[in-house]
Amino acid sequence: MAAAATAPTTAFLPRAGLDRLLDTLRADGRSIVGPTIRDGAVVYEEIATADALPVGWRSDAAPGTYRLTHDDAARAFDYGVPVTSWKRYTHPPRVPLTRTTADGLVEAVETAVPPMAFIGVRACEIAALDIQERVLRAGPEGDVDHVRRRDQALVVAVECALASSTCFCTSMGTGPEVTGGADLVLSELDAGFTVRALSEAGKAVLSRLALPAASDQQIAAAADQVAGVRSAIGDPVPSVGLAERLRAAPEHPRWDVVAERCLACTNCTLVCPTCFCTSVSVTSDLDGITGESERTWDSCFTLGFGRVAGDNNFRPRVADRYRQWLTHKFSTWWDQFGSTGCVGCGRCITWCPVGIDVREELLAIAPPDAAPAPIPWPPAPAAGHAPGPLPVVEPARYVSAEVSGVTRETADTVTLALSTDDPDLLASRPGQFVMVARPAQAVPPISISRIRSDGLDLTIRGVGPATEALIASTPGDPISLRGPLGRPWPLETAYGGDVVIVAGGIGLAPLRPVIDAIFRERYRFEAVRIYLGARTPRDRLFVAEMAALGGRTDLEIEEIVDRGGPEWFGRVGVVTQLFERAPWTGERTTAFVCGPDRMMQATARTLAASGVAPERTWLTLERNMACGVGVCGHCQLGPYFVCRDGPVFSVAELGDTFTVEGR
Amino acid sequence: MLAVPASRATMPRRPRIGVVKFASCDGCQLTLLDLEDDLLAIADRLDIVEFAEATSNRSSGPFDILFVEGSISTPEQAVDIVRLRAATSTLVTIGACATSGGIQALRNWADHDAVRSLVYPDPEYVESLATATPVADHVAVDAELRGCPISPDQLREFVTATLAGRRPDLPDEAVCAECKRRNVVCVAVAEGVTCLGPVTRSGCGALCPAYGRGCYGCFGPRESANGEGLATWLGRDRDAADTARSFALFNAWSPPFRRVIDAAGGPPGPIDGRLTEEPLDA
Repeated sequence: MAAAATAPTTAFLPRAGLDRLLDTLRADGRSIVGPTIRDGAVVYEEIATADALPVGWRSDAAPGTYRLTHDDAARAFDYGVPVTSWKRYTHPPRVPLTRTTADGLVEAVETAVPPMAFIGVRACEIAALDIQERVLRAGPEGDVDHVRRRDQALVVAVECALASSTCFCTSMGTGPEVTGGADLVLSELDAGFTVRALSEAGKAVLSRLALPAASDQQIAAAADQVAGVRSAIGDPVPSVGLAERLRAAPEHPRWDVVAERCLACTNCTLVCPTCFCTSVSVTSDLDGITGESERTWDSCFTLGFGRVAGDNNFRPRVADRYRQWLTHKFSTWWDQFGSTGCVGCGRCITWCPVGIDVREELLAIAPPDAAPAPIPWPPAPAAGHAPGPLPVVEPARYVSAEVSGVTRETADTVTLALSTDDPDLLASRPGQFVMVARPAQAVPPISISRIRSDGLDLTIRGVGPATEALIASTPGDPISLRGPLGRPWPLETAYGGDVVIVAGGIGLAPLRPVIDAIFRERYRFEAVRIYLGARTPRDRLFVAEMAALGGRTDLEIEEIVDRGGPEWFGRVGVVTQLFERAPWTGERTTAFVCGPDRMMQATARTLAASGVAPERTWLTLERNMACGVGVCGHCQLGPYFVCRDGPVFSVAELGDTFTVEGR
Repeated sequence: MLAVPASRATMPRRPRIGVVKFASCDGCQLTLLDLEDDLLAIADRLDIVEFAEATSNRSSGPFDILFVEGSISTPEQAVDIVRLRAATSTLVTIGACATSGGIQALRNWADHDAVRSLVYPDPEYVESLATATPVADHVAVDAELRGCPISPDQLREFVTATLAGRRPDLPDEAVCAECKRRNVVCVAVAEGVTCLGPVTRSGCGALCPAYGRGCYGCFGPRESANGEGLATWLGRDRDAADTARSFALFNAWSPPFRRVIDAAGGPPGPIDGRLTEEPLDA
């Protein structure tokens, strides 16, 4: 990885010396990955010698089409942008995660990561590597496979000498000039290359090559060349204010128009050098007991990507998925990671099989203001980016626990008492969750429903095979856990004031640790009010415990069911009826709410009407959390990863992301 | 359709398996025999009570899992499938014929009597339905394995997942996703080859594009398959009949592909009305 540049001197590498450069890089034990021709396109693959480079090849790229042409030119890097992006080597399409141990637990698979040198990296691609670094590394937890790959990679950039019709790096502020992020920067001239070192590793390579200095004419020719690329591209998508304009257009009719053309085939996201979404898949042996898991590239354009337990789906329509992708790339990415999510490489335009041009869509959905401000150049480094010594947590690092008790709560819900001596798990806080792994099963995130001194309780409703297998556990069963994960309920913000707890159905599970915590330190809170809703009397959770609370004088607790029955003498209706005409006012109240989405939306409205501030109304969201470390993208919600930034959010933080359908 | 296995509690330790066929070529059944490395272990874990290609065992059920190959093409088959459904816990259709009607469903657009007399010298002895239709048009289907033929990997995944009580990982994404994971260069974009990959369900591992051929859709439409969207793009430089021809193969009768074919006035080629006046041997 490049360190800060220090007044690089520019050397000259004759064309015939390219192999010497490759040999020098290889001498450090690196494999060399660079551009080469395969199947009618330039791809990035391991190359042996400079002969493998696309000498004399150029590409004609346009929306939905790509053709190579060849001439007698000696230049090797005039081919535009390859179909492959570097993420294939820094965030590979398949990464093994776990396997089963002999004692029925789940352990991480160590993968060997070879050191690599990347040859021919474009300015936009350096920006993309940097952006993925922010996502996959920049904490609080990072992805260990990515970090290893990235730390060992040496980046040899080649500045563009030609622009493709699909390029728009200038609009995104990512190129075409290479100003950092590389170890070596080459500019190709007819006779050879000017070479600058931007890092200590780059300088070391350069000194071993012992090259002559480049002449002033050569340096000027290289600068003219890249300046020509900048003016050829122009400014196709004025980016000033783009994020805000896009944010203001969630209901624009164009989303439905583009959805008629869009095949939701995932090509745009998989060729995109910054898209990082993955899914975890589990395979098992015929014994039905042992299994393995791996992480594979996935895409927010698939229906399955938005699918959650019980076969509900956040993004059923293609228009929802296109909007999710485009608004994340160009708008909420800024909020989430402090940079653009698009580098303007144009791959999504070229490799869209029906030629959808993201530039056209942006101009239609979020047209620029009449007189756009000039683009700042050079672009200011994005604030807050510090790929420094951040903690790296392995996404497959599990600790062992054992089922010590099984309590049936309702027909479909069971509480598992788990014993563990893992200090991190025992230090879990209310509102946090754990990933629960059993061999040969999918790994669901489960909220902690009680934090004990010797373990955790998990209350689980069987809604699919993985949760049904879990609730069929018996005492003594081994269970692998990863966590605690996620942002806890901010209980301390309620100190000195009133508390309202509203639970719908299984939503009581993550709220039970809140109740526990409140009664451990009851003196910290004024009035405590608990409102419980359930579908039927038989779906009520923790019935005896809640009844015992009803006997206390230092709280109010009320419950209601959607549908009563002959043995039910309590109230029938929706949970908001319990407090919509309550005598209390909400100025001093902090609310903690969990239940189905619609219930939480109605509760948030009713609480607001009672004067509870949106900043003090806390919800916990279930999205399609799949990896639990903020790298898979399944739980993306506006600018948030629910697993990492949540699952607890205030209504104020969520804004309209909580209410717009298909987000 | 989402494959949902019977829960582990209801799936016996050694489930009773049947493999039956209707109008089809037997290729999908043979995929089961192609699981060579696992075959003995599978036979150990599964009680195969009906599988004409592999064993002389015969059973009328009940079946814990019944794999059904072929489309419903005769009156007798239409009755049989209802009886088999009643004897089965988890009914799995395998292959393009069973899941969408197969290549023989091209006759659904044609005049039934004319087609029969084209194929058989004495059609009066042949009892067949006017249409070849997917099993799901006749009875409820619990899971489906796509392809012509099905993928051995997907079959193994279905079996192992079912035995583990796990949801089988049978993605409903496009073939494109597999191409991109494999770093296969897109034949549609880079060579202008007609490729149904964007509207076809993955599962083959991008077999044809990896050999430089366009996908011809043998796994049938994926979820949200936008056949019209692809047809519109293809229609830039070819006529509607030419586009329809690409869709009029093994999964022609699946609704997303059928809509494209219907928009072109039916499948072009030797099955349309013209050739009934001009027999093949003429």
